[in-house]
Amino acid sequence: MSSVLDVFRFRRKNTPLHRLDPRAKFAILVLFSAASLILNDLASLLLVLAAEVALLAVARSAGEWLRSLKGLSMLVAMILALNYLTLPSNRLFTALTLALRFICLTTAFSVFFLTTAADELATALEASGLPREYSIMFTMSLRFVPSLARDLQTISDALRCRGLELEKGGLRTRIRNYTYLLVPLIVYELRRSLMIAEALEARGFGALKRVEPYVELRLGRADYAAIATSCTLLALTVALRFTSLYEAFVRLQLSIFGEL
Amino acid sequence: MEAIVAEDVHFSYDGLQPVLNGVSLVVRTGEVLALMGENGAGKTTLVKHFVGLLKPRRGRVLVFGVDTREATVAQLARRVGMVFQNPDHQLFAETVEEEVLFTLRNMGVPPHEARAICDAVLREFDLARYRDRSPYSLSVGERKRLALASVLSYDPDVLVLDEPTAGQDYFNKSKIARLVNGLKRRGKGVVVVTHDVEFAAQVADRVALMAGGRVVREGPAAEVLIDAQAIAAARLTLPQIPAAAAILRERGVKLSRIPLLPGGLYAEVIALLDGGAP
Repeated sequence: MSSVLDVFRFRRKNTPLHRLDPRAKFAILVLFSAASLILNDLASLLLVLAAEVALLAVARSAGEWLRSLKGLSMLVAMILALNYLTLPSNRLFTALTLALRFICLTTAFSVFFLTTAADELATALEASGLPREYSIMFTMSLRFVPSLARDLQTISDALRCRGLELEKGGLRTRIRNYTYLLVPLIVYELRRSLMIAEALEARGFGALKRVEPYVELRLGRADYAAIATSCTLLALTVALRFTSLYEAFVRLQLSIFGEL
Repeated sequence: MEAIVAEDVHFSYDGLQPVLNGVSLVVRTGEVLALMGENGAGKTTLVKHFVGLLKPRRGRVLVFGVDTREATVAQLARRVGMVFQNPDHQLFAETVEEEVLFTLRNMGVPPHEARAICDAVLREFDLARYRDRSPYSLSVGERKRLALASVLSYDPDVLVLDEPTAGQDYFNKSKIARLVNGLKRRGKGVVVVTHDVEFAAQVADRVALMAGGRVVREGPAAEVLIDAQAIAAARLTLPQIPAAAAILRERGVKLSRIPLLPGGLYAEVIALLDGGAP
């Protein structure tokens, strides 16, 4: 559980990607996720993934990504199997493409979240005009994902200690067992969120309509370069995607897969 | 009788940073063992091995002769009851009564017996009047007692209590101390994970001090808890009575020994007042 969520957990490192302004990284995120969504073939998506992995390597975070991929493998296998079994034609090609698209998308987000601290993100969101209530809500929900995973682990530990066999049983038993897990989790998190809300207010949150940011975000040369490159590549991808050349490229791949 | 035997247990959560560095420790029935040390010393990680929630990377843990790697948590829990620090992680049923019955049902106790046990346990923990209420409507102290009750109900041979006194007022603390002593008298083995040196002085027969994933000192409570050096190395402070005795000694008062409990200090002082060595 926690390994899956690790994809999105920020770790402080000093790499060119970590130093980039969060808005520049957001541009990269938009590029990659848009490309993953509009490209509809195996080869192009592989190219997207390769670019993402290259960035992860620059950010010295490929290890974390790889580990989390292991956790996602079940989901990927499910996407692959369900599509392969239900599609009318080009089953293998399309199933592989869809599974790869899922990997590309999660990788795009993990490039962003692995290299962007929550407070940086909040500053960027506020700089682009989002009210502070919302930016705090957003960063807090990110901040509490690992806590949630840890709480879930503790609750399941406690239940197992009271003799519940969480690992065994048929589907119905398992579903029932999950309700045992969810009730304390929801109650606990609700209690905690109320406590945090009180703590925030006690520390003066919301007392002023507008607060001055302490950190001024400034776009540097590298940031402008990243944003410009992302925009150009995105425009190029969109333009190429709707040409007959792309159609021919897809047909070529389909012919390789043949009847599979 | 040896209930749990940890032999050279090594463990790490991520495979990189070791949390336990070769811990060997024995938990016996009829005895209270206090596991102490600063945050991050590995106490909770160690006790999670006692019910098989964690399995050692190297070394082994035997629970009544069974290697924890060869049993599920639910099987091991029949002999070793574990009460977690935060009751909110443990309670989920609609009513207080069901909370206790849930554990009994898992442990295979027949229904008519379970009712009787549940009644007795709820009375013992002063929770009987809440039986139809939601566990979440109870106060923190009551929730903690309910979490304890739901584990004690099925009568495991060993009890592991993680920080049982955290967040409890003095009155409830003494209540928990009495409960722990009562369990010991009934022949149970009790492991208490705690920072609270006064509580440990009250209940423990044996103390194991942990630091950096190792047991750095282990022995009878009356020896370990008065050992100023060992206590400081584990980043704890001396309990009040040995601390007071140490001050008296510094001032030149000749005590024959450093006592751990108020009764011991009282005896020393009386002996001094009576004149000469006790």
